[in-house]
Formats: sequence, structure tokens, C-alpha cells
Amino acid sequence: MKRLWINGLFMLPALLIFTVFLIYPVISSFFYSFTNWNGVNLVPSYIGLDNYRELIVDEDVWNSLYITFYIAIMLTLGSNVLGLILALCLQGSNWIQKGLRVWFLIPLLISPLAIGYIWNYIYSPIDGILNMFIEWLGMPGQDWLGNKNLAINSVIFSIIWQNLALSMIIYVAGLQSIPKDLYEASDIDGAGLLRRFWRMTFPLIAPAFTFNMVVTMIFGLKNFDIIFIMTGGGPAGATENLALLLYRQAFTFNRMGYGSAIAVLMFAIVLIISTLQVVILRKREVEY
Amino acid sequence: MKQRANITVARLRILVLAVWLFIVLIPLLIVILNSFKTMSELRFSPLRLPEVFQFSNYSKAFIEADMLRAFGNSIWITLFAVLSIVVFASMAAYPIARGNPRWSKAAFFYFLSGMMVPFQLAMVPLYKVLNSLHLIGTHAGVIFIYCSSAMGLAIFLYSGFLKTVPRELEEAALIDGAGTFRTFWSIVFPLIKPISATVAISNSLFIWNDFFVPLLFLQSKSAHTIPLSIYSFRNDNMTEWTLLFAAIVIAALPLALLFIVMQKHFIQGLTGGAIKS
Repeated sequence: MKRLWINGLFMLPALLIFTVFLIYPVISSFFYSFTNWNGVNLVPSYIGLDNYRELIVDEDVWNSLYITFYIAIMLTLGSNVLGLILALCLQGSNWIQKGLRVWFLIPLLISPLAIGYIWNYIYSPIDGILNMFIEWLGMPGQDWLGNKNLAINSVIFSIIWQNLALSMIIYVAGLQSIPKDLYEASDIDGAGLLRRFWRMTFPLIAPAFTFNMVVTMIFGLKNFDIIFIMTGGGPAGATENLALLLYRQAFTFNRMGYGSAIAVLMFAIVLIISTLQVVILRKREVEY
Repeated sequence: MKQRANITVARLRILVLAVWLFIVLIPLLIVILNSFKTMSELRFSPLRLPEVFQFSNYSKAFIEADMLRAFGNSIWITLFAVLSIVVFASMAAYPIARGNPRWSKAAFFYFLSGMMVPFQLAMVPLYKVLNSLHLIGTHAGVIFIYCSSAMGLAIFLYSGFLKTVPRELEEAALIDGAGTFRTFWSIVFPLIKPISATVAISNSLFIWNDFFVPLLFLQSKSAHTIPLSIYSFRNDNMTEWTLLFAAIVIAALPLALLFIVMQKHFIQGLTGGAIKS
């Protein structure tokens, strides 16, 4: 009996903070998504499924759904392909490789807000250095963030630039956990490099692959800071993902009820996709 | 044949690393170089060394954005939030890892659910919760938010780690008459330091650099954090890049120094939760 009491006491602070500042708001978000609350009224009025009906016909929502998935997929592909290639180049332990592993991590230390500004300057059509460089090569400069077709890819590159090292370092850890004698065995078997990678290395780093795929995908689906700073969702909605649309509806237009409905949609997407990923990717993990 | 393939691979490897090093370093160098220039130098010769190092950019940025106060606020918020996360999460994880299996499983999954929900889902009603507790615009409110959203992952990491720690020492302490509370703090907590480092590092990094939560809940200028003070340099018509870059360097300096001193812990902290060792 005393035991139970003490256990409860140990859990109490975490339980209280977690419930009041996360679980309660999350649950009430579902509730608000059925109201027209504007953030000012004390008593929001119930409007049934109206928000969700509006969601289905809202052009902005469909556009931002497309943008959200585009960003998430490109980010997942980019960070995992490039991250794995870098990790393969860096898995050794001579001083250059050790040093570079540290240098590559520096962008991770900087606030996403600052990263957004830095790339805003680089991409700037007026005083940016990217155009300066491209014009020096004899090609025409571009409006990297003002052009509807270019903006989203420019933004994605900046996000990858900052976060690539995280995927990389996790792949390095995965590669280093492969027992050395397996490499020796495959040398004796005379397996070619590519073959060895696909048949041996890649299956053995499956846990790192699963982790990175899920984390980068979720991160991509929810991304806000860098996009908000770099384009604010523009030009003409070309970079407005669900997180930015939610912010605009809830805090610029004060449509908290509708914003909550968008948040519920986001939650459903993140939940379904990450569960699917875990189930599919776990299947191919092998034990050694 | 094999020899030649190996040499090609080695060359390719160096090429890849050199290209990415270039892509990583150039933007960082540009920020540092241009933070010492005048605006016209930045515009016409962004890649050259500054003619005269304009240290005044730094003092100007520091004063204009009230960065001293922002530093104080950011340090206070980060320190307090990280400390609460480490203390409360490790305490909650202890009975989860050691206690009655049925209760602890239920509690474990309850906290785990916090890892699934995106912050955006809690964001709108949080405004109302903070409002009714009179915590809008206060540091305490922001600290509670960071604490609650980090709790799920932290408890998951702690309870996983605690299961690998042998119980004998604790049982000996309990038999000697030490209470659960003392046993935890003097015996268990020191044993779980590695995972505390992971939790503390990843959360400090996130909280120090986070822009979204302060943007929503810390509007008043006196409560500003470092990212908000950088945000104040943005001007839609004419951005003073030199000042902005100086502010970015000032903001990144403390973490960069900490990183140089504790590289190993940082890398372990970032990979700690990912790979089962």
C-alpha cells in the first residue's frame, strides 16, 4: 500500500504537467474542431461537422496537402540518400573523417530561424550570392524564392542543408555497429562493392534506416520554422503546407475552430503514415 | 582489378566529402565575414574580407535587439525547462521500470501517446489553458509547454535505460533503511547519467533555438528569447543583413562553444535514442 503511494508521488509532477499542458489541450482540440470558436468568445458555439465540410471543399487545404506531401517526400528522399552516402564516406575513423563528422554537425546547432535568414540572403535576387555565382558562370540569375516553381525546392534544400547531418550521424552509428568479421567474410567471398552494399550492409543498417525514414518523414510533414521565415507560405501559396495554413487560419484570421479541424487532419496524416512506415520497415529488419 | 576499384572509390569518397564540406562552410563563412562589413561592402563585394572590421555591428545588434535581456531569458527558460524534464521524467520512469507491471504499463502507454501527437494539435487550446492560468506571456507558461511536449520521449528513453540497470544496489540500499526517495537520488540517478545527458542535450538544443512557442506565447518585448530578438531585425523593405548576421553569430556562439567542449556527448546525445546498443 505504501509502495503504491510512493510510486504515485514519483509520477505526480510529470503526470500533472503532461496532462494539463498536452493531453488536455489535444483532447479539447478535437472538441473545438466542431465549433466556430474565434479565440475571443468565452463560449464557442457548436456547429457540428461544418468545419470538416469546409475542409473538403477548401482549395487552400488541397493545395497545402499537396505541398505538405511534396516537402515530406523530397526531404525524406534527400536526407536519407545524401545522409547515407555521406555516412558511407565517413564511417572510418581516421582524423579527417572524425573531424568532418563534427564539422558537418554545425548547421544543426543554429536556430532554424537563423538558417531561414541565411538562405534568404543567399537566394536574394538583389544582393544574394547564389545569383552572383551563377551569373559569373554565364547563366541567368533566378528569383529563387519569388518564382512559383522554384520556391518550394529552394526551401527544401535549405531544410536538408540544416538537418542532413542528423541522418548522417545516425547512419554512421549504424554502420559502425556492423561487426568487422562480416566485412572480412564478404571480402573472402569476393563480393563486389555494390553487391556487398545491397546484400549485406544495407540490410544490416535497417534499424537506422527505419529510424531515419520515420523521423525525417514526420519532421517533413510538420515543418514550420524555416518555411515561415523564408517565404511565409508564398508566393501565392506555393510553399504553404498544412502547418502554415493552420497558423494563418488560427492566428491571423482568428478562426480557432477551423484551425483545430486542420490540426486534426494533420494528426491523422502523421499517425497513419508513421504507423505504416514502422510496420513496413520493421519487417525487413534482420537480426545478426 | 580490385585494387583499381578501391582507388576509384577512395577518390570518389574524397570528392563527395569535399563538395559537401564546401556547401556547409560557404554559408557559414559568408555570415561571419559579412557580419563585420558595412552594408555597401556586403552588397558589392560579399566574398571579400572586410576592409575595416566593423565591430560596431556587434555592439549595435546587441543593443538594438536588447540581446542581453534575451540572453537572460533564453538561459533561464532553457535551464529551467531542461532541469524539470530531467528530474520529472526520470522520477516518473522509475516506478514505470520497477513497479507493479499492470499499472506501470498503463502509465507507460499514456506517456508514450505524447510522442505521437503533433504540437500543432495542442497549440490552439493551449492558448486558452495558459490564459485561464494567467500564464500567457510568462516564462513559466513556456517552460511548462516545453516540459509537457518533451515528457513522452524522455520517459520512454529513461524507462528503457532503467531496465538495463541491475536492481541489486537499490535493494541493498532499501534493506539498509534508505527510503525510496533517497535510494533514487543517491543510487539510481547517478547510474542513469548517460541517458540524462542525451535528454538534456537534445532538449537544450531544441529549446534554445525554438522560435515557434515564443512567437505564440511570449509577445511582450521584455520576455523575448534569442530567436525572437533575431526575428526583430527582419524588415520587409530593407533588411540590414550586417546587423542580422552579427545577431545570428552572437546567438549561435554559446552553443558553438559548448559543442566544441562536449563534442562526444553531443554526438552521443543525438544518436542516443536511435540505435539500440
